Amino acid sequence: MVDRPLLQVKDVAKSFFENAKEFKVLDLVRFDLTERDFVCVVGPSGSGKSTLLRIIVGLEKPTSGEVFFEGEPIRADNPQVAMVFQSFALFPWLTVEKNVELGLEAKGTLPEERRKIARKFIDAVGLTGFEDAFPRELSGGMKQRVGIARALAIEPLLLCMDEPFSSLDPLTAQNLRDEILQLWTNPDLPPKAVLMVTHAIEEAVYMADRVIVLSSRPGRMIAELEIDLPRPRNRKEPEFYGWVDEIYSLIV
Amino acid sequence: MLTDFHPIAKVSVGQILGLVEAIDEVGGVADVATISQEVEMDVDRLGPILDAAEFLGLLMVHEGDVRITDLSRKLLSANVRERKAILREIIDDIPDFRMITDMGRKAGRPLTRKEIIEALSVHVGSHRAADLFKALVYWGRYVELLRYDSQSEELTLRTPSK
Ligand SMILES: Nc1ncnc2c1ncn2[C@@H]1O[C@H](COP(=O)(O)OP(=O)(O)O)[C@@H](O)[C@H]1O
Ligand SMILES: [Mg+2]
Repeated sequence: MVDRPLLQVKDVAKSFFENAKEFKVLDLVRFDLTERDFVCVVGPSGSGKSTLLRIIVGLEKPTSGEVFFEGEPIRADNPQVAMVFQSFALFPWLTVEKNVELGLEAKGTLPEERRKIARKFIDAVGLTGFEDAFPRELSGGMKQRVGIARALAIEPLLLCMDEPFSSLDPLTAQNLRDEILQLWTNPDLPPKAVLMVTHAIEEAVYMADRVIVLSSRPGRMIAELEIDLPRPRNRKEPEFYGWVDEIYSLIV
Repeated sequence: MLTDFHPIAKVSVGQILGLVEAIDEVGGVADVATISQEVEMDVDRLGPILDAAEFLGLLMVHEGDVRITDLSRKLLSANVRERKAILREIIDDIPDFRMITDMGRKAGRPLTRKEIIEALSVHVGSHRAADLFKALVYWGRYVELLRYDSQSEELTLRTPSK
């Protein structure tokens, strides 16, 4: 059986208009995601990565082109798609557990069940013990773990992440990358596919099965590369560096 | 011999694990300057994390070289739950931490932040007690031995989940 793609991004272009002047941000972006894909979109700052994610989750309309999720046009309220943000986007007045429950509340899950699900995903990201803590009591890496638990709790098919490590220090970031990859190998946990955007080439090569390279503004797809390195990957190996150099030379 | 809690008070678990991973990746041993370059962090920022990892027995520093230990290898190959269990044993043995769990056990009721800080002040002076309390809560939560409600300011002992 041939899998129908989970996500289809078809010739998406996006322009913003200011005083009747067109400001092109994305041009002809086209790719598919199927189950078990871990895809990174990499591009310089301003290449439209965040805009692309916002279009993919239905928060923004493309100027032309279309996005399909499981064969249907994407909708903003699609509970099968979850998002993790660079800034964590936590509510400071809510505990870890309540922050994780938020998406479930929106889905209409009952309180008892919400609690159970929230605990499961808090545990999966290593935060058991911090259920009753407030965001201010957490380190940066732990705050992002809450963001990830909240996204996973709605049990999405597709997880989108917008530069999830870029506000963390390098050590915390690396530790969290590894833990996310560990979670990804667990078939009992959602999601079915991950789409992450980043400006860090090394990070994309470290995480992804496939890397989509965007040019600087307007972001055009300049390459789609299968990263066939075995896991766990070692950033010190020449093969690893070969990929990083190749992508680097494509962007500059 | 583990003495007081100070070395791990200002760093996070993620930083310590990230550091151990980074040294493992360059072959398990490196000098501080190399590590600093590898992880793109100043020696100033790296120092406390190195100290913390050494304190926990995850690194050995000898004549300028930093080497990972068997314990770190065990930690690196462990899953999240196993990692917590390994660190729990270490944390539970630190005298400052013990003091609090003993206090809690003897009292048989939740402890208040105020009384713990008073007890800590006797050891470390009042100016350091508040920071130390924060660190004990952070690590105690992580290894699932403590529960703390920052609104009621009450601390209770916890049995780790399996
Ligand atoms: N709502 C908007 N209105 C006008 N310009 C926007 C809007 N959103 C983004 N832009 C512009 O589009 C370009 C791409 O932005 P973004 O998608 O955030 O890029 P990236 O995430 O790759 O850094 C930037 O120049 C940004 O200023
Ligand atoms: Mg962005």
